[in-house]
Amino acid sequence: MMTTEAASQVYEDTWIPSACGMCYNQCGIRGHRIDGTLVKVEGNPDNPIGRGRLCARGLAGIQLLYDPHRVNRPLRRTNPEKAIGGDPGWQEIGWDEALDEITTRLKAVREEDPRGLYFAGTVISLAPLMHALGTFLPAFGTPNSFVSDGHHCGNAEHILARTLHASVTTNPDVAHCSYLLLFGCQAGLGTYYALTTMAQDVADARIRGMKVVAIDPFLGSAAEKADEWVPIKPGSDGALACAMLNLLLNEYELYDADYLRDHADGPYLLTEDGWYARDRESGRPLVWDANAAYARPFDATDLGTVALDGVYQVDGRPCRTVFRALREQVAKWTPEAAAEVTTVSAETIRKIAREFGEAASIGKTIVIDGQELPHRAASALYFKGAHGHDNAWSTSLAIELLNEVIGASNVPGGLLGTNPVCFGHPETGFPRWEPGADVDGLLEAGALLYNDPHGRSPGWPPPPTSAELPNLRDLVGWPITTCFTPAALNDHENFSFDHRPEVLINYGSNLLMSAARPEVCFEAFKDTFVICFNLHSDETAEALADIVLPDTSYLERLDPIPNFTRHHHPVGMGDWGHTIRQPMVEPLFERRHFSEVLLELGGRLGITEPMNLLTNHLYGLVAPHALAPDEQYTWREIADHAYKGWFGEERGLDWFEEQGVITWPKKVEEVYWKPFIHARAPLYNEWVKRSGEQVAKIAQERGMKGIDTEGFVPLPDWKPCRAWKPRDGYDLQAIYYRVPWHTFSMTYENPWLDEISRGEPYSYFVCINTATAHAKGIADGDPIEVEGVDGGTIRGRARLTQGVHPEVLAVANNGGHWAQGMPFARGKGVFFNQLLPMDLEHTDLVSLSMDCDARVRVQKVPEA
Amino acid sequence: MRLGMVIDLKRCIGCYGCQIACKAEHGTRPGTTYARVVKREWGVYPNVKKLSIPVLCMHCAEPPCVEVCPTGASQKRSEDGIVFVESDFCVGCRACVMSCPYGARYFQDEQRDYFDTGENEYEQALYAAHQAGVVEKCDFCRHRLEQGQEPACSANCMCKARIFGDLEDPNSEVSRLIREEGGFQLNPELGTDPSVYYLPPDR
Ligand code: SF4
Ligand code: SF4
Ligand code: SF4
Repeated sequence: MMTTEAASQVYEDTWIPSACGMCYNQCGIRGHRIDGTLVKVEGNPDNPIGRGRLCARGLAGIQLLYDPHRVNRPLRRTNPEKAIGGDPGWQEIGWDEALDEITTRLKAVREEDPRGLYFAGTVISLAPLMHALGTFLPAFGTPNSFVSDGHHCGNAEHILARTLHASVTTNPDVAHCSYLLLFGCQAGLGTYYALTTMAQDVADARIRGMKVVAIDPFLGSAAEKADEWVPIKPGSDGALACAMLNLLLNEYELYDADYLRDHADGPYLLTEDGWYARDRESGRPLVWDANAAYARPFDATDLGTVALDGVYQVDGRPCRTVFRALREQVAKWTPEAAAEVTTVSAETIRKIAREFGEAASIGKTIVIDGQELPHRAASALYFKGAHGHDNAWSTSLAIELLNEVIGASNVPGGLLGTNPVCFGHPETGFPRWEPGADVDGLLEAGALLYNDPHGRSPGWPPPPTSAELPNLRDLVGWPITTCFTPAALNDHENFSFDHRPEVLINYGSNLLMSAARPEVCFEAFKDTFVICFNLHSDETAEALADIVLPDTSYLERLDPIPNFTRHHHPVGMGDWGHTIRQPMVEPLFERRHFSEVLLELGGRLGITEPMNLLTNHLYGLVAPHALAPDEQYTWREIADHAYKGWFGEERGLDWFEEQGVITWPKKVEEVYWKPFIHARAPLYNEWVKRSGEQVAKIAQERGMKGIDTEGFVPLPDWKPCRAWKPRDGYDLQAIYYRVPWHTFSMTYENPWLDEISRGEPYSYFVCINTATAHAKGIADGDPIEVEGVDGGTIRGRARLTQGVHPEVLAVANNGGHWAQGMPFARGKGVFFNQLLPMDLEHTDLVSLSMDCDARVRVQKVPEA
Repeated sequence: MRLGMVIDLKRCIGCYGCQIACKAEHGTRPGTTYARVVKREWGVYPNVKKLSIPVLCMHCAEPPCVEVCPTGASQKRSEDGIVFVESDFCVGCRACVMSCPYGARYFQDEQRDYFDTGENEYEQALYAAHQAGVVEKCDFCRHRLEQGQEPACSANCMCKARIFGDLEDPNSEVSRLIREEGGFQLNPELGTDPSVYYLPPDR
């Protein structure tokens, strides 16, 4: 920092390193402050996350900081009548008054039944969210938390990222990839994890000759750049992937036998009932020792050649290998069968399956940093377009297995878990996390979101035990996020809870818009005392909040190691980069940082001690850097402990405030870890089959009628999603897609980003295929009404385009705000989520993914 | 020296980062976007293509805007070819706006603000540099060049699709790309000889 004193004034001109918070990716930024005013935010070239380059949102953050419509002081509702779109009659109050009331309410709840406190948060502000989830809420004693944008989160992808990649998310190793297959996903080409770094790497790879195939109903930014756009019917990606598996395994014989035998459970034997055949004594899964002609535990020391394929007699009963079971499972998915449901021609399916298999260069190796490694130069990646359906689990599994069968998993060129191996900073050995093998020889992730100093997180997945928690944590506890809570609260037929939501703390999320149609969350919490801690008086605040607390934006607050969850680091070789988020200006008006307020509330409620212990767990702090249990720390002190605990005594908060980021080179064993760690990727998901049986049993015991466990399959298959259910006159499927200049619905209030959308042809319109529109008498620009089969009607203007599947309507993100407190955003874009119900019927129970598309009909309406 | 830019239409994903990088650098008012992106679509489903074309002032070697300017406010710098407006001399007649075939010049009739509440703290600080009643345009970030930095849009582009350099130096990256990758100018038939080149999207 540089501050010089001129004769008559203090003149300040300084650059401050920090981390972006306009989406979830936490890219490195630096801000230019002159005389107390922030005049520029740009990329920080010293930070490996973004390497000095930002997306449009990150560059526009300054207009969030200085948005005149931000909430600046605590507000209290004066209109007791809560209503969607109603006027709360806000009255400004002081912080003391607000916190006194909140403390009284929380104390009462805690004495009565702590589960009466509910919490909803947003993943965009991940560090404060993790602080709440990891410390305040468990210390208070409530399990009732959910993430409102869970609807649009990875769900099934996170589960498979864990089982197959020991991680939370994945990204392709484009530096060594020559064929990238994207299923409803825009990695490096639109919105996705590590966007700003991936954009650079994908562009470099494409110039080098990497081919991109985009499978998507809408010609969005990824499809625009793809060498080939393959339009597909929404919800059918799983059928396409099954057909590709069939071709690779049964027709082209393009698979990596060595990988499947040695690094996956391919050779494990299955009983006829679909369980691993196990050794009577040790309980270990059995494989077929071809030399001994005998089934032996997979980890027997003197195994001969292990059979990958075939059916063998074990105890007089036929047992298939997992590999054989997979081959047989996908055999019915001929390209012709898949063509029928996907509308992708059999010829195209054959072509991309062959190209993908051949690009994998099975058998080839590459030397990186002196290590000879398998080089599998093809990756298949997927996101919400593919798994935003109630067949999410099976669809995601089918796509993941494309990578597994060609051995393109955590080796150069393939799909990489986002940094599941870290040996720590060279001087401190911290942070450290590393996967290993469980008793069955299967991959077990290292610490994922929390920083257990032992670096492992065994005991996963949690078995289904009951159905007494509205977030289904006791029933389906393995998805990392879900927004199912309001649906469960509303579903009195299937669920009965012995406590009700007395108080809801809603942090940074706009539940009413982001979860599903607004009625769902409104119904669930209309009788609850609701505290919204947010930047704006948004739709949720105006409908539900009793008190609104003014949050700091990411440019006004301190978050220690905001990218401590490793999926914020780009994949591939390069540098680790742990950063700081620090105020570029002091919080304006009376805005306060959520985490600091939680510390104060913790003190008022007398739960400082458990919060301190849980903070140690969250950041993996051990002596001498662990927090003392009984001390009341400031947020700055906690940050200082966290930094010193990770990077040494001399690198505390001060050091990071100055330097912004600490970097060190990744090791090849960290990045391409699969050949170095003996743990098998499970192709066969015995745990899903087992969980399904347990869930069915619980449902039966409790008389729950709506629980359908058909989707708990150990191997992939395909069934239509809910939006495929035919109904007369409802002839289209509505989907949403994402543009790289908006984050969910929150950025619609940003005037610079709005200016983009207004100049861009598609994103504020409902896109409809030109021929479809003509057949319906709809012309470009016509006002239209889209009516969902499950209720919910949206209005917008038609944009006729050739770049969308003829049976599909496509809407960008989620606009159409109506809150008085977001006047700039009001009426901009289209409110897609109005079409989406939230209930068991529209949810994939394995992953808690919801059907994010809807069966609809469209008609032209008169000008408003 | 002739400063110019190469925009690689294969790398560019149409993210609008350049539009906002420019806005953030210059703090321009609503409607003024020295750097912007044009989207095009052609073909018939399913054989359809989209393309994003980022545009800015072409810093023409033969700039009609300079020619028509009655006061000499619009100038081309002899040392590097940058075309710019000397605001103090501009009388706001807008002849140059009419003459520019690339829509690269902006004139604000009334000084609008983004928010209905007027200028916020940031805008108060940044708008001061923009005079009312004059024509404004991209100047290849002259103030950054003076400090040894490249223009804001190319420095930020997350696909590294914008490359800045000296067109007269045969060894510069821009010259090499134009030569080897089929660089072309927009509307060469107009005879303006732009200093912004494009690389084809399919190659
Ligand atoms: S990708 Fe996200 S975190 Fe990175 S610059 Fe863009 S908005 Fe900011
Ligand atoms: S910032 Fe780069 S990639 Fe984005 S639109 Fe501009 S030129 Fe294209
Ligand atoms: S693009 Fe327009 S403003 Fe720029 S130099 Fe050429 S004529 Fe002048």
